Amino acid sequence: MDALGSSHIAGMGWVTPLGSGLEPVWERWMRGDHAESKPVALPGAARSHAFLPVPAQCVDFLGRTPRLRRSSAISFYAVAAGLAALENAGLKVTPELAARTAVVFATSDGGVQYTRRFYDQIVRQGATAASPLLFPETVYNAPASHLSSQLGLDGASYTLVGDASVGVAALHFAGQLLDTLDIDYCLVVGAEECDWIICEAYQDWRLARTPFAEGAAAVLLGRSGPWRLRTHPGIPFFRRREVPAALERVCADLAASGPAQWAVCSASQPFMEAAERTALRRHYPGAAELHPKRTFGEAPGASALIQVVAAALAVQKSGAARALTPVVGFNQQIGGAVVELALEAIGPVVPS
Amino acid sequence: MPTPCRVAITAAGILSPLGPGLSATREALLAARDAVSPVERFDVSLTRAKTAGQIPDAWLSPETDPRARLHRASLMLMAATRELWAGDPGFEPELWVIGTTSGGMSFGEAFYRALHHRPARRARWLANYLPQKPVLDAQAACGSVAPSQIIANACASGTNAAGHAFSLIRAGKQRRVLCGGYDALSELVFVGFDALQASTPDKIRPFDRDRTGLVLGEGAAVMALEELDSAQKRGAPILGEITGYGLSTDNHHLTQPHPSGIGPLRAMERALASAGRAPREMDYINAHGTATAFNDATEGTAIAQLFGPGGVPVSSTKSMMGHTLGAAGAIEAVVCLLALQHQFLPANLHYSQADPAWDLNIVANHTRPARVERILSNSFGFGGTNASLVMEKAH
Repeated sequence: MDALGSSHIAGMGWVTPLGSGLEPVWERWMRGDHAESKPVALPGAARSHAFLPVPAQCVDFLGRTPRLRRSSAISFYAVAAGLAALENAGLKVTPELAARTAVVFATSDGGVQYTRRFYDQIVRQGATAASPLLFPETVYNAPASHLSSQLGLDGASYTLVGDASVGVAALHFAGQLLDTLDIDYCLVVGAEECDWIICEAYQDWRLARTPFAEGAAAVLLGRSGPWRLRTHPGIPFFRRREVPAALERVCADLAASGPAQWAVCSASQPFMEAAERTALRRHYPGAAELHPKRTFGEAPGASALIQVVAAALAVQKSGAARALTPVVGFNQQIGGAVVELALEAIGPVVPS
Repeated sequence: MPTPCRVAITAAGILSPLGPGLSATREALLAARDAVSPVERFDVSLTRAKTAGQIPDAWLSPETDPRARLHRASLMLMAATRELWAGDPGFEPELWVIGTTSGGMSFGEAFYRALHHRPARRARWLANYLPQKPVLDAQAACGSVAPSQIIANACASGTNAAGHAFSLIRAGKQRRVLCGGYDALSELVFVGFDALQASTPDKIRPFDRDRTGLVLGEGAAVMALEELDSAQKRGAPILGEITGYGLSTDNHHLTQPHPSGIGPLRAMERALASAGRAPREMDYINAHGTATAFNDATEGTAIAQLFGPGGVPVSSTKSMMGHTLGAAGAIEAVVCLLALQHQFLPANLHYSQADPAWDLNIVANHTRPARVERILSNSFGFGGTNASLVMEKAH
């Protein structure tokens, strides 16, 4: 049985706390810019949390879309990133392409703002006050539905949920769809939105060292494209002490693809960092490290896809052969991916 | 192109309002039992709907350290997987594909209430709210360290999970996959369907002219899928086969299907094409049949169009246990497996008046014996996700 998934990246997009657009965000990141954090407070309580929001101008252009008029922020981020990936690939959606493009949406917490608001209405005012306009947006696959609708895609649509490894699980899943369905492309979008209840929860889980962030990243997988992508199916862990061994195995499996010049790191918490450092030193000695979460924060559904986009840009801009992205979830799975410049693409995409 | 692999079902496990386990479920199906009862887990004094298909706590044996504070959803999925392994102890999945819509939502509700009423107090068990936790709990309970994929495609999740698992084995990408679905009742989801006026204070009457909406339910079901030759080589029981899977996406509206029924029609057509079967070769359709005005109108139209007037027998087993959301597709697949194994057509309860919009052959009110070789099972969800499975009797 094939352990690693294999496909090509045809296009990418992201909507981050540093803005949107592959080049502008990359440049700001490399320059050392920091996103502006915003406080979010539990009403009536003294404590507040800081999170990294997406600048409003990144999604303003979607504001008048009828389908999105009542949707939550997560759907706006997902649609903006998905549109950017299609544009980056130079694809125009025709009826034929629409039917031959699947959508895989990844998230950890989904439409948490509407979920909290809807339940708040139940608790404060009773069930009769709960708005039927809010409830549909609380369903995990609402953003995927908006995404398909706004991009005009009517191929298969899947929503995957999980911890911060869900983005790479979605890429692996998308590769499986390319292997098993009669389709040409699969658009993978991971997204997250913030609400104070999520910040509370992450603090309770002692996951608050890296600020919670909003954002989305999109990777269009196809049968050809400038980058080759190999994905690991993942290894579950049941206790934090199992993370080092699982990460070790993932890195060893991915190392079979060859040495990587870049490692786009995942760890955002102390219990992950030591394990990631050890595994990278053993299997990828000498790889230069990038740490996107130090700048973009932790947007669980989007984080792994942000890593993959960063890895693709890193190899493209440096001319390196390969970049590794280990992906450490917080309570489910370890995964990972390797991004390579496709041989046929070397030349056109590497900047001089 | 390599020859597609055949996909066997070697074991199954189920915990539904109809009963704990395959045998109790079969007995309830044969008796056409109505397993819907007044909701007891949370206050329903302000909702229109008051009933649901529920799992009694007595059916959930913790068998774990109570300090783990596992969610009922975990206990349901653990019970179903335990039964699966009792049926095929040699099954070693390479992957788990599980559907759900709301994970351990009631723990999220409790967390919110704790913050709302006493903001200084922290709820430490919120980690068990996340949808991956029941899957991890079930994996831990049976010692499986395979990766998992958790599909949240609303009410089609369970069928999508089985369909994706089937596709992987059929294409030779995996040899053994555990698939299924789970969902536990929660106040938020119950009130949500009530707010949409999709749920009913009445009985659930799928395809009836006087249908008034759905009744929610809860439960879990899993199936062990394996490439047929591999299963036969190790002497595993072959309970049935999955032979086709079709899916479609309907972008018409977030919560309403396109009135033409094009979404369900495409999913069924594609499942039949995938199985290499004609509509007339089906012996039974386990419909999505939620008894909402919109679903039954579009599904009824699509079935009548594809299978012809008065064609293949149709029933919705949601009429017995309610709509179990992310678990529904998996539970109904196991119901279909039981129908194939024991040769019966499950009843569509509370059916009295045919809807003049279509001419369907409804299995009205009583389960009946029949020769059943092939079944089509439908699941359609919010967001326009439509999925159909074709299942066949083992030979």
